[in-house]
Amino acid sequence: MAIYTVGRRQVIVALLLTAALLLTLDLRGNPILDTIRDGFSRAMAPVETATEVVARPMERAWNSYSNYDDLERENELLREVIAQQAGNDAAARASVIDYQLLLALNNLPSLSGIETEKAQVVGVASNNIDQVVEINKGSDQGIAVGMPVVNQAGLIGKITQVNATTAKVMLVTDPRYAVAVEILAGTGEGLGDLPVTENTTPSGATPEELDAIEEAAGTTSTTAPDADGAVTSTTTPLDVFGDEFPLAETDDQTPTTTTTIAPDDEDESVDAPPVTDPDGEPVPTTTLPVTTTTEPIQLEKEFGTLGGRGAGRPPQISFIQNAPSLAVLEVGDLVETAGGGDSLAPPNIPVGRVINRADRPGVAGPLLEIELTADLDSLNFVRVVLFRPLSEVEQ
Amino acid sequence: MIAAFLQSSLIRLIPVGMVVIALQRTILVDVKVAGVVIQIVLALVAAAGASGGSEKGAVAGFVLGLMYDLVEGTPLGSSAIAFMLGGVVAGLLALIAADPQWWLKAIFVGLGAMTGEAALPVVRLFIGEENPWPADMAKVVGVVAAAAAVMSPLLVPLSRWCLKIRGPNWVAPAEQPTV
Repeated sequence: MAIYTVGRRQVIVALLLTAALLLTLDLRGNPILDTIRDGFSRAMAPVETATEVVARPMERAWNSYSNYDDLERENELLREVIAQQAGNDAAARASVIDYQLLLALNNLPSLSGIETEKAQVVGVASNNIDQVVEINKGSDQGIAVGMPVVNQAGLIGKITQVNATTAKVMLVTDPRYAVAVEILAGTGEGLGDLPVTENTTPSGATPEELDAIEEAAGTTSTTAPDADGAVTSTTTPLDVFGDEFPLAETDDQTPTTTTTIAPDDEDESVDAPPVTDPDGEPVPTTTLPVTTTTEPIQLEKEFGTLGGRGAGRPPQISFIQNAPSLAVLEVGDLVETAGGGDSLAPPNIPVGRVINRADRPGVAGPLLEIELTADLDSLNFVRVVLFRPLSEVEQ
Repeated sequence: MIAAFLQSSLIRLIPVGMVVIALQRTILVDVKVAGVVIQIVLALVAAAGASGGSEKGAVAGFVLGLMYDLVEGTPLGSSAIAFMLGGVVAGLLALIAADPQWWLKAIFVGLGAMTGEAALPVVRLFIGEENPWPADMAKVVGVVAAAAAVMSPLLVPLSRWCLKIRGPNWVAPAEQPTV
């Protein structure tokens, strides 16, 4: 039977004070505690590996029981979506290459010039507060605290703790995360209100979203018939750094095939009768190139600070100047990292889109909620950008 | 000192804690209940408190909390303080009954885990983190408490073995001499 005495109370108070002392030392930074932490993590590694081996079948059984139907349905829908997106991939690749060539031509900094380190997510925070994942690369691979981390879709977080072979990545949604961003005003016209992503199993899509995808796939799916003269190109996914990215650790990766059909005009020109002179001799035809002049898009930018707000809450942008004459921010506007001398992230990494705007009285400026382009619920392969801010490089 | 360590409860608590933390960091982060990560380490601490009293609960909370902070990368001592509170509350609740039934212990474990889970963001708030509250705090705390109560029939005997807690040894009262 539990008995409460004065002596026991003293033990509890002593333990509480010890914990508070350790907390103070750790927050101020202590190399001894860091060494102990590193050593304990190494000691835990084999235990975790063994536990995972034992627990994995149970986990898979649970997932099979709870997620099988959703997974099967979602797999079919994703195949449809991939088929749709394959057609856009080649054009997107060409645009990215053109963009990088233009940046290089004008001596502008480009993301493709920054080295990156591929890594795989091997763990996530096991509490309900922190938004942190662990990756299988560390200081041995040149990773340092503060470096931004991206995946194919865009920014996902930054390195906050580094061991020799592993590192912790604080996700954009963590309340402690903040980064300077720019909002490209006018890029979201006509998009309307975007739905806020909710956490579901197995991949983050709600049943309503699955239905929407299914409807979209059913109405816009195009099947191009094979035709002579069709150009077939093999492509792989392209991430924001213009580099190919591994899909998974499987040997039988099926490449995506894009088929470009010859234009219809060609058939018409073949069927048309040849032009002849009065003597019956064919007259050579001259095709003049048609030049289309397009007005360059003038994007107005607004700058602010993006901060996470925890799991289940969309990140928020604050410290925006409320100057409608400069830029009118609205739902759907694109958000990218702003860069800058002190920023931990280089400019122009895609972050997300504005999904909500809340105006505040006075000069506080509006608050913007954004939907991230990266799906943080299903992270696997990521890329650590080996970027150091200009202020540190100069030192 | 080594002999004292070997004779203490830590010689069992630390390896068991390593396995439980490994379970927490591997299977339980994937198998979520209603989107909430079940806290088996906190449940073990609360079970120690419910079976051994507030002091044992505090010791288990301190040790397992420090181990959890070391491996998880959270500020060292933050989880330890929250876990200690959970263990102490479970131990204080156990004073209600002299020899509680298993279901009563399950309630104590659940309430202790609820206290510990609710204390975690409070501790984070004290050390300067902005807005550490989960979006659905009530659901998180409720699920963690319910899961701890469900797991208590397994965790209470485990904690008794780890902390070398002996069961109550009831002795029949001596017969009063007849006057």
